[in-house]
Amino acid sequence: MDLTRDRIRVIAGLIVVAALMLIIPATSIAAYYIAFLYLIFFWISMATSWTILSGFAGYWSFGHAAFFGTGVYTAATLATKFNWPFLWTIPASGLLAAALGTGIGWLVFRLQRLRGELFALITISVTFVVAAIISNTDIDGGSGVYLISVSMPELFGSQPGTIYTLGLFLCALTMIITYSVYRSRMGLGLFAIHDDEDVAEVKGVPTFRYKLGAIALASGLAGAVGSVYSINVSYVTVGETFEITTIMYPVVMSIFGGSRHWLGPALGATIVTVALYGFPAGPEAALARGGVALGLILVVLLLPEGVMPSLRRLWGRFAPQSLVPIRALPEPLVPSPRAEEAALAARHATVLECKGVVKTFGGVQALKGVTLDVRQGEILGLVGPNGSGKSTLINVITGHFRLDRGSITFAGTPIGELPAHRVARLGIARSYQIPRPFNRLTVLDNVALAASFGDGHGEDDARRMAAHWLGYTGLARKAFDYPPALNLHERKFLELARGLAARPRVLLLDEVLSGLNNSEVDEALNLIRDIRDRGTTIIFVEHLMRAVNQLSDRVAVLDGGALIALGEPKDVMNNSEVVEVYLGKAHAT
Amino acid sequence: MALGKRLLGCNLLLSLALVLGISPTLAETPSGQPIRIGQTLSLTGPFAQTGLAHQIASQIFVERLNRNGGLLGRPVEYVVLDDQSKPDVSRTLYERLITADHVDLIQGPYGTAAILAAMSVAQRYHKVFIENTLGQPQLATYEWHFSATIGGPDSTATLPVKVLDAYASTGHPPKNVLIVSSKFPSAEDMAHGMERAAKARGIEVLGYLEYDVGNRDFSGLAARVKDANPDFVFVACLGVEGDQLLESEKRIDYSPKRHFYLYPSGLMAGDPLADRAVSYSGFEDVAPYTSTAEGGAFAKEFDARAEKAGLPYPHVDSQAGNEYAGWQILAAAVKATNSLDDKTIAEWLDKNSVETIEGKRDFSGRSHTASADTQQLKQAQGGKWVVIWPLDMRTPGAQLIAP
Amino acid sequence: MAHVSLSLLEQSLITGLLAGGLYGLLALGLSLSWGLLRLVNLGHFAIALLGAYLTWWMGTALDIAPWWAGLMIIAAFFVYGIALHWVFMRFGVTEMQSMLITFAFAVIVESTLQFMWTADFRRYETAWGTQSWVVGSLYVPKLSLIAFVVAGALAAATWAWLRYTYVGRALRACAEDAPIATAFGINHRALSFLLSGLCAAYAGVAGVFIALIATLAPSQIWAWVGVVFAVVIIGRLGNPIGALMGGVLIGVCEALTMAMINPSWAPLVSFSVLIALLLFKPRWI
Repeated sequence: MDLTRDRIRVIAGLIVVAALMLIIPATSIAAYYIAFLYLIFFWISMATSWTILSGFAGYWSFGHAAFFGTGVYTAATLATKFNWPFLWTIPASGLLAAALGTGIGWLVFRLQRLRGELFALITISVTFVVAAIISNTDIDGGSGVYLISVSMPELFGSQPGTIYTLGLFLCALTMIITYSVYRSRMGLGLFAIHDDEDVAEVKGVPTFRYKLGAIALASGLAGAVGSVYSINVSYVTVGETFEITTIMYPVVMSIFGGSRHWLGPALGATIVTVALYGFPAGPEAALARGGVALGLILVVLLLPEGVMPSLRRLWGRFAPQSLVPIRALPEPLVPSPRAEEAALAARHATVLECKGVVKTFGGVQALKGVTLDVRQGEILGLVGPNGSGKSTLINVITGHFRLDRGSITFAGTPIGELPAHRVARLGIARSYQIPRPFNRLTVLDNVALAASFGDGHGEDDARRMAAHWLGYTGLARKAFDYPPALNLHERKFLELARGLAARPRVLLLDEVLSGLNNSEVDEALNLIRDIRDRGTTIIFVEHLMRAVNQLSDRVAVLDGGALIALGEPKDVMNNSEVVEVYLGKAHAT
Repeated sequence: MALGKRLLGCNLLLSLALVLGISPTLAETPSGQPIRIGQTLSLTGPFAQTGLAHQIASQIFVERLNRNGGLLGRPVEYVVLDDQSKPDVSRTLYERLITADHVDLIQGPYGTAAILAAMSVAQRYHKVFIENTLGQPQLATYEWHFSATIGGPDSTATLPVKVLDAYASTGHPPKNVLIVSSKFPSAEDMAHGMERAAKARGIEVLGYLEYDVGNRDFSGLAARVKDANPDFVFVACLGVEGDQLLESEKRIDYSPKRHFYLYPSGLMAGDPLADRAVSYSGFEDVAPYTSTAEGGAFAKEFDARAEKAGLPYPHVDSQAGNEYAGWQILAAAVKATNSLDDKTIAEWLDKNSVETIEGKRDFSGRSHTASADTQQLKQAQGGKWVVIWPLDMRTPGAQLIAP
Repeated sequence: MAHVSLSLLEQSLITGLLAGGLYGLLALGLSLSWGLLRLVNLGHFAIALLGAYLTWWMGTALDIAPWWAGLMIIAAFFVYGIALHWVFMRFGVTEMQSMLITFAFAVIVESTLQFMWTADFRRYETAWGTQSWVVGSLYVPKLSLIAFVVAGALAAATWAWLRYTYVGRALRACAEDAPIATAFGINHRALSFLLSGLCAAYAGVAGVFIALIATLAPSQIWAWVGVVFAVVIIGRLGNPIGALMGGVLIGVCEALTMAMINPSWAPLVSFSVLIALLLFKPRWI
């Protein structure tokens, strides 16, 4: 299936539906239903925009009301104090809210500790702070802002028609934007961030930039929705704008419908709005709210992914969580060989050089000034007892940790200060000792992500390349499974496939053989040799000595954060210091 | 239109009845297609407590109306929907009442935000719109809006003046005032009004303190009030906030010399700490309000139902009184014009006055408010509210007690 | 900023300190369940209010003194806490899911409270409600002081229990690494039930004091959420003494704000403090 054409089809479909809904006000249907539909558009926009950051990337925000409120008061202030024509306040509100969201993101996203519930807390705090500022300054001051005298453009010759149209427009815009993100490279990156942000960064996803983009979109859309709200109610107060319902409903609706799918929040918003406002217009509304809450509990307990994935499962066409509507492996795309590597290998040129690398954690020096060169096309074994700094060195090379002193140069470029995703793009990849796949992405998508972000392909091409790599590592028939369904051997090979899909010049393998039996080890060793023969330099950390001896061109030995030996295996293994360090650990083979 | 035919039908019936000499008492049982009058109220959400009082008042009125012949000989059906204290819901539900449920007439909702939202709907469909809680009715720009409140065109200017006049009449007016205000819009407006009125007559404003609507702890405010030690503390509060402030003051051993509370809770009158507290009044269950037949009957009925509904303070007050008066205004206009046509009703109200339980009122102030502020002032004395201002409207035997 | 007298500042400090006691009391259960059970319980506020309503109702309708009511409530809530945790365990609920479920639960409780007792504000009037002890020129409200003392006692007792008893240490071990703790023979399940019951019981205690000190309305459930979360974070998850300290810090900041500038800025204080702490993090968060 042509994925690009599929995307265009869906977006066109959304536009057609929106256009059809435009006809409704022109019919003789009672205006009440028009107003009710606007309410639905409103909540769909709020819930769907929320999910771009929170559902996709997993950064649950309780600050959507802050962005919404910013939009409300921007529109109210511009329309009343500065006499702006109302339609211009809509983009202004969106931009200002987006600026607030981006500002918050810029401050908060760079701090690794502020994820999960702490992020939720900061966002709810921002909401209360914004509300207090608006309430205590001239923006509102406590009396509320009256918009009765603001003239409204009359589309469809009536006020409800205008509100409806604006609401419909913003709703369609939100859906199209969210769908586009969902089906784009950015969406793939956001979902990876959700599952394992650190791994995503190391695989080449520009996590900071993507999160900023997501929060900018989410907040901007909420702000625009706020401006239409303000003229709809024609009198805004702080209390009503920043209510607990505005804070919680987008969250509730999105989770209910399925926050990881672009349609989920719309579904949830529609159901909840109809339940809350459509039926209980009588005195029993208190119980009705409780009923909706009970429904939410049941959904969260019984359908934790929301309603949408269950619907997709029923529909049966493709896996419930799959990001693209395909069922069979796409036609594999074989990456073109790299010509220059072979030439460099012939010259034994240095591809990666570490000079005096120091890394300290608290009071502990994990790396005490490591100087090491890696030659193009070699297999370098990295060994040492536990705690000698092997994993730290890998983390520093890939950019997960910043080095404290010294330098690392890769193909002439200094990479010591670069963020991990830049290092990945330059051509360094790694596998994890304990596999860390993205558990809620399919095996295919796991590899496609590496191909996309490590090697710079569009996501459709990346999936085709992923098909190739899955074939290469023998995982083709597992392409549409999720990593938890794989056994250890398969997950290790998935790690390998992800590493390869990035087509790195240097591949760091962290104890890829641990846990494998003898025949699996031999299979792996052959694979590793083949990878090298195709032009990739390999550094591999291992404890299994026979593998080290069989595979390495050279071996580097670390102990206590320092390099104590570097040379051919037989020389290094006979080095007395190395033997001492490994007392009792050498294998006979 | 169907409406016109129905009116004609009614008129015919009535004429026929008179011609046939059918006794008037028979006409007291309304018959025929019910006249449906709809409104939304905040029956749930933060304003639910007041919404319930309004609902009871409306129900009492409609039942009484139906016992006495209904409107134009037809029974009146009261349709009330819950706007959950949300203005956008109120707006949507008024759309429903008018365009889907096709009610004949509407009454306004509770709360400034809901009123303004609903009023734009009324305007669009040319429905006469009588509301009874708009704090600043002069902001209503709709031609067919009518205010059932008796604060006149600008109560934020006139009410503070009344208060200061009342205190001045004792011969020992306050020399300074401390203003404490909730950040609730109508409270805020009135507090600013008091600030202006005090300055205009040379009373020193010692401070203007505001507190958040959700404020839980009043000890800080109490400490500041005590520290300022004002002659008069004007508290623009909502409900129990006033009581909480008084309790916090008691804990630090402070009693205000003169105090005013804008929207007191039901508990305030009975609270010994609130002794001599002053507030405004439009309707209470004491004389002179209960002196009229309808007023007295309403007060009694309301108190009984409020008690049954479990309201902690089962006594009628201005909220309920205003709502009832609003219905009286609508009914009077319908009866006088013999019509359910909104335009006719609006034109009649524009030029006429109506006798309500809150007094006789006209609509010649700006935006169809009363031409003058006819609110009274009440004071908590011995556990009950008594009216103490203006002098000619006092509860018999009562007068303002002040230092 | 108006001239602020010393006596005003001193009085504000006292009231702020004591208000912090109530915050700490309410924060205690939340901090423990979040820190040690990894569950974010928004329902904590709802059952605290429920406890408050029950105290008030038993006091006014059934003439039962608050301490007896409190004992009954504590027992009942302990059982509820266990039941709640059973539901979480049965469905393998994650941290974020627990937040949602408990939020929905809080809405249900709010609706029930409104259905039973209307949305009107309720006051539990007691003799000592307006009484204060006088220390020099300062007034120390009796009920607030009692609440503070109870909060301090509970915080200290809990801290000691966590630190010095087997059960307490086992709980902390489970919170750090449940599979390893289980490997060492600790019955994780039983302990987590115990803790959940305890947190609910703490909510009950807080509820009794809320009834005595504050006003009740179903919507008040949400009035405490923001400030208590701030207190919990500041005091560090799972740290009982920290919860009290955090409460005092927030209480004093709010009181001083109210004394020195326009009191309506007070809500801004706790959240700004929280944001600042999260951003410019000291090591203990």
